[in-house]
Order: sequence, then C-alpha cells, then structure tokens
Amino acid sequence: MDRHEAERILQQTFLLSHFYDEQWETIEKILLGERVLLIEKTGFGKSLCFQFPAILHNGTTVIFSPLIALMRDQVKKLNSLGISAKCVNCEQSPEENSQIISDAKEGKIKILYIAPERQENSEWIEATRQMNLSMLVVDEAHCISVWGHDFRPAFRRIINLVNLLPKGLPVLATTATATKKVETDIARQMGGDLTIIRGNLMRDNFKLYVIRVNSDDEKLIWLGQNLEKLPGSGIIYTGTRVDTEIYSKWFEFLKVPSTGYNAGLDPESRIAIENGLMNNQWKCVISTNALGMGIDKPDIRFIIHTQIPQSPIHYYQEIGRAGRDNQTSYIILFYNPADKKLPESFIEGGRPAISKYEKLIEAVKSELLGERELIKKTNLKQAQFRVIKADLIEQKIIREVSFKKSKKFEYITGAQPLSTQAFEELRESKTRDLEKMIEYVETNQSRMKFLCDYLGDNSTHTFTNCDNTGLKKLVVSANDEWIKRLQDFREDYFPVLEVETKGTNLINGVAASYYGVSNVGNALHRCKYENGGDFPDFLLRLILKAYRKHFGQEKFDLILYVPPTKSGELVRNFAVKVSQTLKFPISHSLLKNRTTNEQKVFENAYLKSDNVKDAFVIITPDEVSGKTILLIDDIFDSGATIKEIGRYLSNLGAEKIAPLVIARTVGGDLV
Amino acid sequence: MNKEAAYWIALAQLPRWGHLKLNKLIINFYHENKLSIEDFFHLPENDWKNQYALEYKDIEDLKKAKSELANFAFLAETMLNEGYELIPITTPEYSKTLKENLKAAHAPALLYVKGNKQIMHEESIAIVGSRNAAAKSLEFTDNIAQLASKQYKVIVSGFAKGVDKQALDSAINYKGQSIIVLPQGIMTFGSGFQKYYKQIVAGDVLVLSTFFPKAPWSAELAMARNPIIYGLASEIYVAESSDKGGTWSGVVDGLRKNRLIYVRKPDSNENNANNLLIQKGAIAVDFNGNPLTLYLPPSTQINQLNLREPAVDYENKILELLKTGAYTSKDIIKKLQLNWSEKELRNYLKGKKEVETINKKPLQYTIVDATKRQKTLFD
Repeated sequence: MDRHEAERILQQTFLLSHFYDEQWETIEKILLGERVLLIEKTGFGKSLCFQFPAILHNGTTVIFSPLIALMRDQVKKLNSLGISAKCVNCEQSPEENSQIISDAKEGKIKILYIAPERQENSEWIEATRQMNLSMLVVDEAHCISVWGHDFRPAFRRIINLVNLLPKGLPVLATTATATKKVETDIARQMGGDLTIIRGNLMRDNFKLYVIRVNSDDEKLIWLGQNLEKLPGSGIIYTGTRVDTEIYSKWFEFLKVPSTGYNAGLDPESRIAIENGLMNNQWKCVISTNALGMGIDKPDIRFIIHTQIPQSPIHYYQEIGRAGRDNQTSYIILFYNPADKKLPESFIEGGRPAISKYEKLIEAVKSELLGERELIKKTNLKQAQFRVIKADLIEQKIIREVSFKKSKKFEYITGAQPLSTQAFEELRESKTRDLEKMIEYVETNQSRMKFLCDYLGDNSTHTFTNCDNTGLKKLVVSANDEWIKRLQDFREDYFPVLEVETKGTNLINGVAASYYGVSNVGNALHRCKYENGGDFPDFLLRLILKAYRKHFGQEKFDLILYVPPTKSGELVRNFAVKVSQTLKFPISHSLLKNRTTNEQKVFENAYLKSDNVKDAFVIITPDEVSGKTILLIDDIFDSGATIKEIGRYLSNLGAEKIAPLVIARTVGGDLV
Repeated sequence: MNKEAAYWIALAQLPRWGHLKLNKLIINFYHENKLSIEDFFHLPENDWKNQYALEYKDIEDLKKAKSELANFAFLAETMLNEGYELIPITTPEYSKTLKENLKAAHAPALLYVKGNKQIMHEESIAIVGSRNAAAKSLEFTDNIAQLASKQYKVIVSGFAKGVDKQALDSAINYKGQSIIVLPQGIMTFGSGFQKYYKQIVAGDVLVLSTFFPKAPWSAELAMARNPIIYGLASEIYVAESSDKGGTWSGVVDGLRKNRLIYVRKPDSNENNANNLLIQKGAIAVDFNGNPLTLYLPPSTQINQLNLREPAVDYENKILELLKTGAYTSKDIIKKLQLNWSEKELRNYLKGKKEVETINKKPLQYTIVDATKRQKTLFD
C-alpha cells in the first residue's frame, strides 16, 4: 500500500488528513511484518502507528501497556471511530474480562489492550492460543529496561514472548523516554532485526522554572500565594504519599479546589479522580508519580514538583504529561538542597540487606511456598519481599509458578549464587542520574537543552523557554501573614485512621499527628523508651483538638484503651486524662489474655496480625454490648491491634468503635 | 533453541503425522539441507512441495501449524517462565539412549521436561510391572532401585500405581536419581511438581512428557508412554507381568527386537506370567538382579498357571483373523475352533488394545485402525 492510499483510509477511518513522515516510516515497516522501536515525545501520535495497521490486519492486534488510564481513553476514542477495541485489566471484573477475551477469540475485537500483569492470568494465555494474532505492541517499552526510570518485571515476560514470536509477525515497541543506554538495552533485548526510529524530544511550549527554597514551609507558602494565579488546571507531584495528603489538606484549608491521589487508592476513587482531572473539576491534583502516566488530557497547564525526582528521565517523563495541546504550560520544580535526601535514600535503601536475600533464598529452597507464607517465614516487610523477589527472579535464582489458583516460588536448580555486582552497577548508575538531576537545578544554561541532551536528542534548536533563557526567575517571599496561616493549618490538621471494614463496627478514627514529622514522635519516644514519665500535656491538648476536629460534639458511651505489651501505665494514665476531659466514662477491663510481642518486632502485617489474634479479652462483656466506644492507643502503625480489638468488641455487640491515637506512623506496611 | 520453541511445538503437534514421517522431514531439512526449523517454516509452499515432496494434505497441515505459531509462542513463554524446557530431537540435550533405542520410527520429535535434564545422559534402568503387583514384586523393585542407586544409575518409571510408584519412591528413598515419564501433558502435573519439589530442586528428579503440554491423562497416552519408558533405559527389569497389558506387550516386543530384558524369577506359588516371559527369551534374575542363566521355568508350573495356554498362539490367530474384517464372538470361536465360552472371549477381547469393538447387536470385533493403533516399541 502506498502512502497516498493509506492516507485516504486514514481520512475515512481516523478523520485525519495525513501522516507525519516518521509515522508513515513506521507504518510501512509494520505492514511488511518488521519490528520497530519508536522513540517519540508525548503527543507525537505514536498510537496511530499501531492503530492504523491494526485496522488493515485480519486478526487482532494486542497492545501491552502498563497504563490503565491510557488504555481506557484510547479504547473510548477508537470505539467512537467505530473501531472495535477493548482492554483487559485488573480493575475490571473477572466476568467482564472473560467476556472480552471470548470476544477476542471469536475475532470480534480488532485492538485489544492488556495490562501486562494480566499475562500471568491463565485464562488469557489460554485465549491467546485460539486468537488470530496479527501484531504485537509494547507500549512504554522503557519498562523493559532496568536502566530506565520505570523498570517493571512483568515486562520481562513480554520481551521473552517477543523473542518467541514467529518471523513476519510485526512488533512495535514505543516510548517517549529512552536515553541512548535504554534504547540500546531495549534493542538488545528485542533481538533480531529491529529498526529504531527516533524523533526530537523538544517541547517548546513548556516554560521551565526552578524555585529554590530553604524549607517545606516555603513550598507550601509559595503555592498558597501563587497556585490560583497559574492558568487552567494541573498536577503537583510530591515525593511521598503522606505529602500528597498534607498538600491537599493545605489547599483544602485555603479553599483551593484540589484532591490527593496515590497508588494506594481503590480503583473507583482513582477513576473518579482521573475523570475529575479530565473535567477540570479541581485546580490541581496532588499525586505521587502514580498519576498521569498516560492520562490523555491535552490541556494540563502546569506541572509542579515539590520534590526533586530521581533523574532527568523521571522528570522528563513526568512533565511530559503537560501541554499535549502545544499551548503554553508551566513546569516548576522546587528545590531545597535537603530534598536530595529522599532520592538518595531510595537509591541507598532501595535494596534490602544481602542477608535478607539469603534468608529468602534459603526459605524458597527448603519448601514450595507462596508470597504470604514466605513473608511470614522470613519476617520480611512486604515491600522488601517484593524487591528481593523481583531481583531473584531477574537473576534467575527463583521463579514464580502457578499451581491452579495459587502462585508459588521455586528455587531454580543449579542457579548461580546471588550477584551483588548488578546491584552495585545499578546503584552507581542511579547516583549519577541523581547528580544529573541536581545539575539540571543548578545549571545556568537552557534547561530544555539540558533535558534533550540527556535523552540523547542532539537536535540543534534554540531554546528560550526557561528561567535561564529569558523568563523571569521565581522566588519565594514568605511574609508574616502567610507564616501565621501555615501555623494555623498545622494545628488544625490531623491524620485520619482508616480502619472501617465490612464485618466489624469499627469506624474511621483520628490521630493527633504523624509520628516522625513533628515533635510528637520525639515526645512519645522519650516517654516510652527513655523513662520520660507520663505523656506530656501538649499531647493531651493536641489529641483533644484532633477529637473535636474529627468527631465534633459526638459523645461516646465508654472509653477503652489498648492494654500494654510490657508493663507500663502510660496509655492508661493518658486515657484517664482524656476521659476526665471529655467526661466519657472509662473502663479498665480490656486486657490481654496472653503475652504478645511488641508489634514493632514484626516487619509485616501478616505477622503483626498473627501476633495479636485472639489476644484480647474483656472481663465484663456486658459493659460493651450496645455501646459506642472510643478506643485509645499511643501509636498506630499497621492498625492490626485496633482491628483485632474492633473485631472482638463487635462480636460482643459493641455498636460503634472509634480509634483515637496520639501518632500514626508513616509508611506502615500496607497489606 | 528457545527462540524456536513455538516452531517445535507446532511441528510436534502436526495431526496424525506419526514419528517416522516427522523425523524423516526433520532429517531432510535439518541434516540434509542444513535449514533451521524457522527457515523451513518460512519456505515458500512450492519448496515444501518440490524439494520436500510433501503432499497437499501435509502442506495444509503445515500451513495451519504456521498460522498458529503466535499462539504457540504464548504457550511457550508460559512454559519457559515456569521452568519447563523443550528439547527437540536435533539438540545434544536430547537423550541419546532414547534416540538409539527408538530410532527415527518411534523417537518423539520433542521432549517437554522439568528438572535436572542432565539425568537423561546417565546410565539408566527401567523397572516395570503391573499396577497391582504382589508384595514380593514390590520388594524386588525396591531392591533393584537400591542397587541401581548405589551404582549411580538413573531409574526410569511411569508414575503409575504399583511397580512404577515403588520404583520412584525407592529411588528417592535411596537418594538415587529418577526420570518420571508422564502419561499426560507436563503442565497438568501440578500436584506432582509440588510433591517432588525438594527432589527436583536437589537435581534428583527429571519429569518428562512427550505429549501436548496441556493434554490431560488418558488411557491412550498411558499406553503411548510405555515405549518412552523402555526407550529411555539401557536395561529393563520386569518385576511382575500378567499375560496381557502394557508390561506384557512391551516385553514381548522387546524380546522380538533382541533387547536385554531381565525378569524376576517367580516363586513356585506365584500366579503371574513371569515364567512365560522367561520362556520366551527374557533373562531370569534373582532378587538382586543377578542373571540366573541356568534357570528353566518348570513346564508344570506353566501348565498350572491360570492362562489360556498357549495364549500367544490364540492371540496371533485372533488378530490375524480380525485383520480380515469384523466378526462377532460366535464367529471367532467357530472359525478358530476355540474351546472358550463367548463370554470368556468377549472379556479377553475387551482387554486387547489392538481390538476395536463395533457397537452393533451382537457386538462385532475388528482390528484397530492401523493409523490409530499404538506403535509397538520395536517394530
């Protein structure tokens, strides 16, 4: 087919008049059954390079993409053009996915998007045996490289698959962010005859700024003063989940419409927020880097980072989501030299100790176990377990195998011993990347050119779109009024304890503070572990404030407190004071019926919840039946203790149980 | 070879091609024309026809297989990810013993394995026998397995009840090495992989199948597996055989093809066909597997056996007759002048895998369609 003929079909089907040269170059090769790696910036129109050939092919084109939001958007768009497209992902019901798979088997679907995790689902594998596959696409192909910014082990399997596919079956890999090193790595992994097509990565509609600050307070203040002056709506990226909460509470306090987003939210909430973002429901969404990968909103007008990313490639990827409509977009990065501690800790602490690797290897060797059993057996944190697991799979020391419904881990006979060299290399490479990111902050040259150079795009443009090349520098001016407002906010903001579950009468409670982000943690530590005496009165004032903020004038029938693991009256004495102030009666009858270990000994929620299971008893059960209960403790970590007591009290007929604690830890092991 | 996995699965799956035809084709493109399987699959149809003298139906089969390559690639990816390995007949990893014993006529083109595949290259023995063998036979099996394990010989068995299972359990017990030859596709052996996890990790067990990876157990596959067990072993020990079934026909075949087969010398009070096999040329062995060259099975004992003596002659006569058409049991008795009751004959025919029952009234019997008939080991 020649270009003229193709563009006629393009006009008919996609309502577009012509291809860009690089699009046509790609499509021509695809139509000949060749393999192509296409590196083009966001907004270039990479998806047309597979969507167009897909409609010409007889069979089904399968696209592996990690970006569920993007899949949904593209499916919607294709369907509106009358092209049958569907996506299979973990956010849909199994019935829905089954139906899609069976439609694909019957040849009813031209374009099928699959989230790679799905590849492990046997139903899907089974279906592929009967599907007429005409082309395979690996979207966000940088995910296959450990040298990229977003390596995903599930993509390793896709590469294996690509290498098994027969000659003549076209394969297209696409990415917007690949350095030369990543490009070479992808090409090596995809093997064989691969054509690489690389476009220029320059985004001239960006206005790039770096704002130097000396504290987090200055970031909050600048945003408070200026956020509403920015055009349209946008995204604020923070370094941690807790920060998404703090920033969104700050904007709530300032009455700026905003919402927080992170990967820990349930799918419905995530979809609701993505939709809200599309509809400009908020001035901004505050998110970890979980959001936005592939959100197809053309008019994101600003992207602000409150935390320096790990590397220029992370940064380019994240800001790449702005201004797809080619209109002016503001790209702002806050930088406090202290901020590099967070990425440094990711790099340094990104890998667990070698002894933990050895522990897991031994456990896998001795018995065929699943994730949960291994976590219990090794007392690893779930997050650590997953890092170690992925590394051991990568090094071909263990493998994951499905038995009916359950997944287990096998030791690979004759495997090489653990190699730490790969970790060292990766760490050094990441350290260099971080240094590069700091160079971006400190450069007095064109920031866009810096990014393009870093990404291996050597095109020679004139770049005049940053605060080093003509735009006015942005600075923070914190006046007394704003310092006061921030202080008021700090004393008015209390973390919520989300413990509501079906099957118990627990309701969400509140903590007076986060442990570790204020002086509260220090005070607790002194009293608990350094014989510092009773909890100081400022904690009482703070917790009462938290109580009023969260529960208002609500009254409870009874106060109970969590009995201590070791002897000690701290929580008891504290609860008595709360009871005296709130004038709710207190009962001392909640006890432990067996010795438990301190929860902090356990690294993961499975063991924590085993530790306290059936460990509590109330001497006078009649006391709680039909009552509303305020349950007091000092520190809330995984919530296993509160949930266990909540379950127990619910069974005894308690009508409502609400936790109230002094501090909530940051980053408890989430299960 | 991994790169070619989908092609090999496709080739091994060609419907009703038979080992000989498949192996001839492989010899032709791989050895004579020095083509990879990938190159062969991508030859123009004309080359298939002219150079390889393939017929219309064969080419249609190949085209269909080719169209399914992408599907097999997905299957292969799953398999490799879960630690299964595919061993084509063209690779040095393929068991030499198997190739030499089965030759082009019967050697499967592709082996699916999981575990320590090096085991396939060690010296090996098979211990075979019936599913409901007597205690005596199981003790013999255990003892032979122990002796073999001490001599670092690998024990090949078929994962059936009775002797097979004993052979495996004993090999594991004596820290020997084993090959389990599956009567099913290798991906359907989940519970077995869980059960023998430690042995597989330790490198002491290899699980092997020659069937489509997802094929469930079937009687047909169980029969088709027997030649593989015999083929993988340099020596064959028979613990106990009745006068029909897999063990019996395997040994009779083997003897015809001059393979060394050791049969446990039965005690005088045993009711099995071991003596019969010894009479037919198998070598009697004692409890420790030592040949008893001077042993002659007592003819009286054979006469005492509850056998339809001489069964073999009857068998051959009956099979010859059935090759000529379909007969009722009454016809057969009349034509061959057997002194059996019809019921006896019907029961006898029921157990014969070579015989097909035609559902008419009265029932008729004929020989199984030659294409469907299980290949005997040493034809």
